[in-house]
Amino acid sequence: MNIKSFKKGIHTPHNKLTESRFLVDVPAPSVVYIPLCQHIGKPAAAVVTAGDYVSVGSKIGAADGFVSADVFSSVSGTVKAIEKRKTVTGACDHVVIQNDGKDAEKFLPPIKDLKDKDALLKRIKEAGLVGMGGAGFPSHVKYAPKKQVDRFIINGAECEPYITCDYRLLRERTAEVLLGAQMLATVLGIDEFDVGIEDNKPLAIDAVYTAIEEKGIRARVTMLKSKYPQGAEKQLIYAVTGRKVPCGGLPSDVGVVVGNVHTAYALYEAALNGRPLYERAVTVSGDIKNQGNFFVRTGTLYGDLVDYCGGLEGDCAKIISGGPMMGIAVPDLNYSISKTSGSLLFLSEDDVNTSQPKPCINCGKCARACPMNLMPMYIDAYTLNGDYATAKRYGALNCIECGCCAYTCPAKRTIVQSVKLCKRKIKELGL
Amino acid sequence: MKKLVSASPQITNPSSSSRRIMIDVLIALLPCVIAATVYYGYHVIINLVSCLIFCFAAELLYNLIVNKNFTREGVKNSSVTDCSFAVTAVILALNLPAVMTVKMWGLNVTDKLGAIVFSFDTVLLCALGSVFSIVLVKMLFGGLGRNFANPACTGRVFLFIAFGGAGAFNLTSSLLGADIASSGATWLGSRESVTGSMLTDMFLGNTTTAAVGETCVIAILIGFIYLSLRRVIDPRLPLITVASLALFAFLFDVVPSGITGAEMGKEVAAHILSGGLLFGSVFMLTDYATSPNTFVGSVIYGVGVGLITALIRSFGSSPEGFSFALLIMNLVVPLLDKYIIPKPFGYVKPEKHGKKNKSGEVKS
Repeated sequence: MNIKSFKKGIHTPHNKLTESRFLVDVPAPSVVYIPLCQHIGKPAAAVVTAGDYVSVGSKIGAADGFVSADVFSSVSGTVKAIEKRKTVTGACDHVVIQNDGKDAEKFLPPIKDLKDKDALLKRIKEAGLVGMGGAGFPSHVKYAPKKQVDRFIINGAECEPYITCDYRLLRERTAEVLLGAQMLATVLGIDEFDVGIEDNKPLAIDAVYTAIEEKGIRARVTMLKSKYPQGAEKQLIYAVTGRKVPCGGLPSDVGVVVGNVHTAYALYEAALNGRPLYERAVTVSGDIKNQGNFFVRTGTLYGDLVDYCGGLEGDCAKIISGGPMMGIAVPDLNYSISKTSGSLLFLSEDDVNTSQPKPCINCGKCARACPMNLMPMYIDAYTLNGDYATAKRYGALNCIECGCCAYTCPAKRTIVQSVKLCKRKIKELGL
Repeated sequence: MKKLVSASPQITNPSSSSRRIMIDVLIALLPCVIAATVYYGYHVIINLVSCLIFCFAAELLYNLIVNKNFTREGVKNSSVTDCSFAVTAVILALNLPAVMTVKMWGLNVTDKLGAIVFSFDTVLLCALGSVFSIVLVKMLFGGLGRNFANPACTGRVFLFIAFGGAGAFNLTSSLLGADIASSGATWLGSRESVTGSMLTDMFLGNTTTAAVGETCVIAILIGFIYLSLRRVIDPRLPLITVASLALFAFLFDVVPSGITGAEMGKEVAAHILSGGLLFGSVFMLTDYATSPNTFVGSVIYGVGVGLITALIRSFGSSPEGFSFALLIMNLVVPLLDKYIIPKPFGYVKPEKHGKKNKSGEVKS
């Protein structure tokens, strides 16, 4: 089979330590703290108050505005409070619910006609679906593109080291994921969709092929080279379709929409079982007693998840929410699992970068690794000098923050940090 | 429990560090050091050691004085730990003749036959070159990665210009050529007609060279292959430079000289194998700080060095000019990186009738 890829990029160690661990349901903790902002856009507005009784699947936060998503309770019990707590990207109101352990369910009615485009789109909104790869863009906005699209790609690349939750979903819930993807394609008005999977996951590719034949799903599988960042939207589109998303544009500008494996699975659950999005698969890996892939209710504290996994082991130096390349390091375990937390990593001193940056030696390795063909060393240098206009000239705004530059940098410079700062400054100063 | 936080990515390539790159370059230089020692004797080692000592001392002292920190901590935090001083020192030592005598000093120890056993002049010149390279060219401009010109190359040119008149060394003859088959002058100095055996001698290093490191082409090739395999250098850059010199030497020197047929090929080969071209294009041209970061920039840089070298060799007052060509093109590098910016992935040309974007930036 033809293996496709994009230009440049880097080869990271895969470290898929949990790839053979089956997905396990984690029992709901006694108290959950469900953030009302689990997506990009405006936080949802709370529709419950302290003292209300909620069931599993009850709506507790309503989308506030167009780019926003509903939030659902992941346990049954009494709302204790609505309090402001920190999230990995900032802070927002959390609904604190005391779990009564009954797991009383309140789901949506299943959809009868799975070919009904409007009903499916409505269900995407009703179930609070967001892009579950990490960004968390509300799905009802994404799957109603302004331009007509002709390709829909399911992103099974999972190029980040350590993370295996999408891989496990593709292997264990293959038919569900593909049927969900077919529904997403139906919403977009496309008959046949693409599935892109990296070639280091042959078992997932086999499983997808088998399911396509058994269920008669119209899908094409594209084998992708195992290279980072293969799962980045623009790079994936280029590898699968050969189209280049214009700078500053959206995938729909070239007639493509990319969907996440877990989002497809969530739509399947929402359409056939009426289950809104209140739990997700999370990979827990690193210095922890029982690593694995778990179905975790949103609002579960990291600490509760760690307790379930048997506690930390070894000299965990960094806690990372998300993958090691683009994830966010958090100082403690006082955060909640949200719709977008795909993994929780506990990496030791040997694995993570703890060194201080040294002077740039101008080797150009970052420019050779950059999948967006930028010159990261100059963006870094000019940003640190305060010359944001020149940094913009070297392509700061096109950066996808994949981290290839900082990964290859022999001087261990924090290039991505500079680029993030530069982007903010350009926005602030209106350059 | 408070753990470390930092911006993504949380992992970096553990096998890549500035020091590792410098050590790779030193490993690649090792065959040249061995070849030079075999052909020129222990004088090479003396030069090498004095360059290493003076480069190390100069860089360390500069660090300590500038940071005003003379403690153990200051030594630990100084830039000598990245080993880049050693690269400069070794390249500088390999860029000098085995023995350099200054007529006015004459601080040499000779044996009964009058051959030089130990030359204090040479050590002094090595020290001068080292301090000049490290302090003036590298550290004053901000240290590693900030130098505008190749330190070792500038050190060599400084010694040549400042002490060439005193007979210390010139670019075409070696002072220790006596025990080597051919005469003291290199082919670039004598320009005798090229024979096949001469080319073999040039390739193996059995001929005089102005600088000890340029001797053995095989040793240089081993270094080139090692650096390419380790991905320390872009192998295309030296190849472009050599090809460019071959072309321009053919046009400016070989064609006007009136020779024909296979002789032309031999003449071009002699141009490639003589002088500092091969050593310089592998080890000095590819210096990170003074070479462009884009491929298009590299092509212009490489072709420029080849062109200027060919011009100096053909029409210049000096028979060899690679170091000068390199220094001239070093000055162009910042401009190349300023104006040649690669088009980002998914770049769309701004519309013509719209406001023209002069700097070539992407529509925002």
